[in-house]
Amino acid sequence: MKKMIFLFLLAAFQLGNAQMKVDDVKTFVLENGMKFLVVEDFSIPNANMYLFYKVGSRNEYQGITGLSHFFEHMMFNGAKKYGPKMFDQTMEFNGGSNNAYTTQNVTVYTNWFPASAAEVMFDLESDRIADLSIEPSMVESERGVVLSERRTGLENSPWRQLSESVQATAFKEHPYHWSVIGYEDDMKNWTQSDLERYFKTYYAPNNCVVIVSGALKFETVKALAEKYMAPIPSQPEPPKVHSVEPPQTGERRITEQREVATPYLMVSYHTPETQHEDYYALNMLSSVLGSGQSSRLYSELVDKKQLATQVFTSFGTSFDPNLFSIGAVANKNVDESDLENAIYMEIDKIKTDGITENELQKIKNQKLMEFYNQVETINGKSNTLGTYELFFGDYKKMFSAPENYNKVTVKDVQEVAKKYFSKSNRTVGVLKSNVEN
Amino acid sequence: MKKVILVIMVMLVTPAIIVAQSFQLPEYTTFTLPNGLVVNLMEQKEVPVIAVNIILPAGAIYDGEKAGLASLTADALKLGTKNYTKTQLDQALDFVGANLNTFAQKEYASLYAKFAAKDKETILNLVKEILLYPTFDETEFEKEKNRALVAIDRQKESPRSIIPSYFDFLIYGNHVYGNIPQGTAASLGALKTSDLKAFYNANYIPNGSAMSIVGDFSSKEMKAMITKLFSEWKKSSSDKDNLASKPLPKISESKVLLVNKDDAKESTFYIGSQGINRNNPEFVDISIINTLFGGRFTSMLNDELRVNSGLTYGARSSFEPLKYGGSFAISTFTANETTEAALDKAFEVLNTLHSKGLDEQSLASAKNYVKGQFPPKYETVSQLSGLLGEMFWYDLDKSYINNFQKKVDVLDLKKANEIIETYFPKDHLQLVIIGKASEIKAIAEKYGKVIETEINTYPQM
Repeated sequence: MKKMIFLFLLAAFQLGNAQMKVDDVKTFVLENGMKFLVVEDFSIPNANMYLFYKVGSRNEYQGITGLSHFFEHMMFNGAKKYGPKMFDQTMEFNGGSNNAYTTQNVTVYTNWFPASAAEVMFDLESDRIADLSIEPSMVESERGVVLSERRTGLENSPWRQLSESVQATAFKEHPYHWSVIGYEDDMKNWTQSDLERYFKTYYAPNNCVVIVSGALKFETVKALAEKYMAPIPSQPEPPKVHSVEPPQTGERRITEQREVATPYLMVSYHTPETQHEDYYALNMLSSVLGSGQSSRLYSELVDKKQLATQVFTSFGTSFDPNLFSIGAVANKNVDESDLENAIYMEIDKIKTDGITENELQKIKNQKLMEFYNQVETINGKSNTLGTYELFFGDYKKMFSAPENYNKVTVKDVQEVAKKYFSKSNRTVGVLKSNVEN
Repeated sequence: MKKVILVIMVMLVTPAIIVAQSFQLPEYTTFTLPNGLVVNLMEQKEVPVIAVNIILPAGAIYDGEKAGLASLTADALKLGTKNYTKTQLDQALDFVGANLNTFAQKEYASLYAKFAAKDKETILNLVKEILLYPTFDETEFEKEKNRALVAIDRQKESPRSIIPSYFDFLIYGNHVYGNIPQGTAASLGALKTSDLKAFYNANYIPNGSAMSIVGDFSSKEMKAMITKLFSEWKKSSSDKDNLASKPLPKISESKVLLVNKDDAKESTFYIGSQGINRNNPEFVDISIINTLFGGRFTSMLNDELRVNSGLTYGARSSFEPLKYGGSFAISTFTANETTEAALDKAFEVLNTLHSKGLDEQSLASAKNYVKGQFPPKYETVSQLSGLLGEMFWYDLDKSYINNFQKKVDVLDLKKANEIIETYFPKDHLQLVIIGKASEIKAIAEKYGKVIETEINTYPQM
């Protein structure tokens, strides 16, 4: 712990005041509950605005699956002042571009623009948050767009097909059961009233955190927020997601057919939500297993035993307990059960013998590089701050993350491996061309 | 109606401010080692990291009959060196959180590294080992080749990632730009370490290569360090045959390469032809027009195929410029049953570009857009080192960055419409479709002479 702090001080010392610090983030909350985080950064004449709404596929239920994502699309299809197509046309005319993404937990809107166009951005955003119009004709053409998005995702990625199936098997009751894109039949059947209710419930200023980074003064951002966002009324707090996935009591297995060169394998374990105390140790366990060619899984399965050509681990941020996944693609002429067993051998080694001090230090060094990469761009700053504010409950945790990783011991990593990597807690998915034998 | 006009007037006023904030390339120094290696150094101290970009004349255009040779050679640089086994290299890089990759593209090979500033000595020493003293260890090579062969087989699993190779194969024919960088199962299978060593000796040479280093360091110290590390790299005495400069094949008829994927639920397609060189003096003008045509969300293509008709999740167009030629392609995808509608629509939009040209309003919008989106392209040490490498390879000078705004500003409607006529293909268009041939073959025949092949195989042309 001390070492890492020292390193940070040293870095700050060498750099004068160039590097981003917690005090560089300034915040305010409007009366309607909309929270702003602002980072002044004049390294390029540009700025961005990231709007994080606390709504994702976990807020859906069967019958309206995929609606959060579809709504994300509809947010670009016209409001009161800026009608259909005008949002994008106006933004691009002013030198700005945008995108958006939806996950199980959140919907995030991203605008990138020359700082001089900031007022236009506020005007555009406030218009659609206050007065979105949901035109039935736009709903129909946009439905075609998201159906194409779903199809092209599946067409080009076996992982999409396999991970959706594993997710659906690991979660029986919680809304993480379905994919963010939704079921095809639900996608064809959303109604106007579904959309209107969704907008009113979730697209409220009090359900949104806004991050602005770039060549704008804090006072400028605050004045624009007061002018454009403050008049939008707050809404009652959205209903809580009450579903809690019951503990898994035995291994679950699924198989998927697809014309692939060699089998794909995914092994997923239930793990807790991001704010749980085990988060940092699990994250480091994920790195020990899957980060880089010296990682346990790559060096053993790909390099040494040649059972796989690719391997990865995935452990993301999540409001509710979610999955820690290990994915691998079998090498030619390798039986996927041999690959699966080799993964368990690596897990068992960590459960029995733990990890080494050298591995622990390696991961800590990697985390510091990760932090540098995040603060190198204004977009990295906004996205990371938003992620910490929503998933960790406080943007300040972004700056204490290196310290929190530094507290993790060799024993902590071994303990979480023992706690979560049990047979009865796992779901195993296999995707291959021949599923008959 | 009034409201709309009012909004447009506001839009016309605002962008004037954008012009004032011009973006300039940060200062950097260049020197050349006696062996011919060009070195660019640019100090950037916002974050304590360093990026290294090395560009080498060792791309797939030198594959000869051995498709995939350049690519596998670049991959194999990291399989062990004089003083490090592959495992030791992996451990040394991972331990400090450094990223170091080697890969070959069509024209050149690259080494890219990013690491913490405090590790510069360690990492630059590894860069030297990898670049100057690779051993092409037999055992590691067989493992790498095997992984590459599985990757080739897996290309059939993603039409989107394999379609560029088919398109280049179609428009460049027997020219070296038509070489398939990743190779084929047959060509890769035949490669031996002796092939890699020969390719390495001929093409990994300092004269004709450039190293661009950007980040938190002192240029004076860095210059001394690079001079010490890389002066022993031996210059090549033989002149390389400039294969890429040979004339490109003439395209004289419309062709359709139909790639059958039996389990396809959508058709993925490219429509286009040959394009422009990277150092074309009208490069900026062309990219402004392409922004309007298929380079942003409100582009003509995306507006018609996505927003108005819901036929696809996205449609775009792009120029892929190389040193002595290039390609232009419209790309999109759609469900099997809407293949014809989407193809017709794409051709129609291209015709509209030619028949109607542009108007003042849309040209102004595209100009504002490319200016506004320009600075974030050169924000990080990696982006800047990549830019310096690109400037070296294509003989671009600082004016590409420093005069960018000026060049954008002077483009007027008359010139814009000339650019369309000159650079956007209209006749003898080339089409690649990856999809379910049994359902779409009759449609494909509408657009030109059809050549059929199975996914992951290339036809005799």
